[in-house]
Amino acid sequence: MTEPILEVTDLKTHFPIKQGIFRRQTGTVFAVDGVTLYVDPHETLGVVGESGCGKTTLGRSILRLIEPTSGTVTYRGEDVTSADKERMRELRKEMQIVFQDPYASLNPRMPVRDIVAEPLRIHGMGRKEAYDRVGALLGKVGLMADHGNRYPHEFSGGQRQRIGIARALILDPSLIILDEPVSALDVSIQAQVINLLEQIQDEFGLSFVFIAHDLSVVRHISDRVAVMYLGQVVELADRNVLYESPAHPYTSSLLSAVPVADPNAERARKRILLEGDLPSPANPPPGCRFHTRCPIAQDVCRVDPPELRQTSEGHWAACHFPTAPGDSLVAQVQRLGRDLRLVEAREN
Amino acid sequence: MTEPLLSVRDLSVTFRSDDGDVTAVRGMSFDVMPGEVLAVVGESGSGKSVTSLAIMGLLPRSARISGSAMFDGKELIGADIKDLRRIRGKDIAMIFQDPMTALNPVFTVGNQIVEAITLHNDITEKAAWERATDLLFQVGIPDPKRRIRLYPHEYSGGMRQRAMIAMAMANGPKLLIADEPTTALDVTIQAQVLQVIRKAQALTGAAMMLITHDLGVVAGLADRVNVMYAGAVFESGSIDDIFYRTGNPYTLGLLGSIPILTSRSADKLTPIPGSPPNLLRLPAGCPFRPRCVFATDICHDAEPDLFPVNGDGHSSRCYHIDKVVEARAGSTA
Repeated sequence: MTEPILEVTDLKTHFPIKQGIFRRQTGTVFAVDGVTLYVDPHETLGVVGESGCGKTTLGRSILRLIEPTSGTVTYRGEDVTSADKERMRELRKEMQIVFQDPYASLNPRMPVRDIVAEPLRIHGMGRKEAYDRVGALLGKVGLMADHGNRYPHEFSGGQRQRIGIARALILDPSLIILDEPVSALDVSIQAQVINLLEQIQDEFGLSFVFIAHDLSVVRHISDRVAVMYLGQVVELADRNVLYESPAHPYTSSLLSAVPVADPNAERARKRILLEGDLPSPANPPPGCRFHTRCPIAQDVCRVDPPELRQTSEGHWAACHFPTAPGDSLVAQVQRLGRDLRLVEAREN
Repeated sequence: MTEPLLSVRDLSVTFRSDDGDVTAVRGMSFDVMPGEVLAVVGESGSGKSVTSLAIMGLLPRSARISGSAMFDGKELIGADIKDLRRIRGKDIAMIFQDPMTALNPVFTVGNQIVEAITLHNDITEKAAWERATDLLFQVGIPDPKRRIRLYPHEYSGGMRQRAMIAMAMANGPKLLIADEPTTALDVTIQAQVLQVIRKAQALTGAAMMLITHDLGVVAGLADRVNVMYAGAVFESGSIDDIFYRTGNPYTLGLLGSIPILTSRSADKLTPIPGSPPNLLRLPAGCPFRPRCVFATDICHDAEPDLFPVNGDGHSSRCYHIDKVVEARAGSTA
């Protein structure tokens, strides 16, 4: 049995809402509110959810780019959350991040060579040696060595993301957190970057935490997938299990809402329409956070928050009434004698 | 034979820039038939939004526009602003990606919908408010009697999008132009809004031009598709032509680039190599040639026309249609 490379236990990151001239705290945003998960070596864990679900804050809290409020993060068995500054700097060699907006995350006044070399220089490497390493690495991410002399504005979006990936790779990390790495890119470029990520994962033996809102991309790249809703993981399973027999009603609804780029598939599908909007993470509903939109919610769901429980080997769901394999959310709703807004995904 | 509702011929749009002229739309021709949904698909810089803005007369005066856009027997290109205003918001209505570009933040949602109604109809204020409330109800805004008095910022993103759709429906348009209408929305909200758009279209019987980069949205909504690249239509056909009998290398490349939600496959995607062209310096011949796996010498010499592909109304801007069709048949078999 392999040891996980990353373990996150009951992680919470709360932000105070401050108002008025005395900046008194008037509320709290429960951005990440009790997340537990692990990542195995060489594995890709996908994290999906809608805006405000806390997936970005989770990624940053793992690296302590945002200081978590409570809970622990361990990297290869070592507690990251209690590491001092010096140790944290060492740990960040091992754990890197790639951001969504490749332009905002690259200093426009530095040539690419210096941007990618900066982490090496910070860690004390001489300029000459650092530049040699950068030149070799630029080739691996599909750029040319002489691209190093240019500035970020001279590159297209896809190339900038390659630069961001090169910078994340330069310290030879074991874990990279990818925060919406392809969502700002055009479709044709997106596929190039996804392939590049898969290729460098194999070549460098990396583990990925792949944070995204695009469920199709996440299924494609991930080994396991965690679904987040209002700061919590509501379901976690192997990718095919999660996509083919989801146990949590939110996952079922989310999957049924995604338009599939295949007209025949759309003609055959029915879509579950959730009522209402996402509640605010500053004011999450009591009990199960999903109960306000859940088609199978019952009395217990309104008061008692469900824990993330294993429904079958490796399949976890936080629901009082998880959908059993072979059953469906639609059938569950019908057994309760309730109405579900089902619509044709495509009218014929 | 029914007449097209909108008939665009040889439409070109050129912008001046410090580095030279940029031709964003190059000789576009297409028809929109009454009641149909025509999707216009393309990546950033393909000219899909500029086309619709040119038709609506919403481009800055510095843009040079040539060609023709006949709507319901009237020429829109170069039309008098007064005539355009009579058409905009009545016979042609727009739905934008960001509803705050269409909604005025200092007026209530109700005020704005009522204004849209009274501007084009001889109707009492009271009747207009009733009609506006009904429209909000139609697009699924809960408690419309109360919400009609709220300001746009008091609405959630999905509700604003609905309010904008209600406003677009207000005067029973013949053509709805929806520019990335759900791109900014979360997926569960997107599903709601797509349903509302479909309902709005069914209720008004309007035709729709759906501008999007999302092939999933296209697959669920469109009757016909125009695929755009470098300011020109590269492939045009029915939804099944485009997805299953693909006749253009660029379309084929797009389809190979997207992972499919329902697919177990973890095989590598087949992306399009390279980057979209710089509109200031389009490559000689076919603008897609530098990225195209089917390209031969002929592609270097001249840009291909839109040639017919097997099937009615299916055409592709390519010299190697047969090879593309064969490749597609091989990949879906």
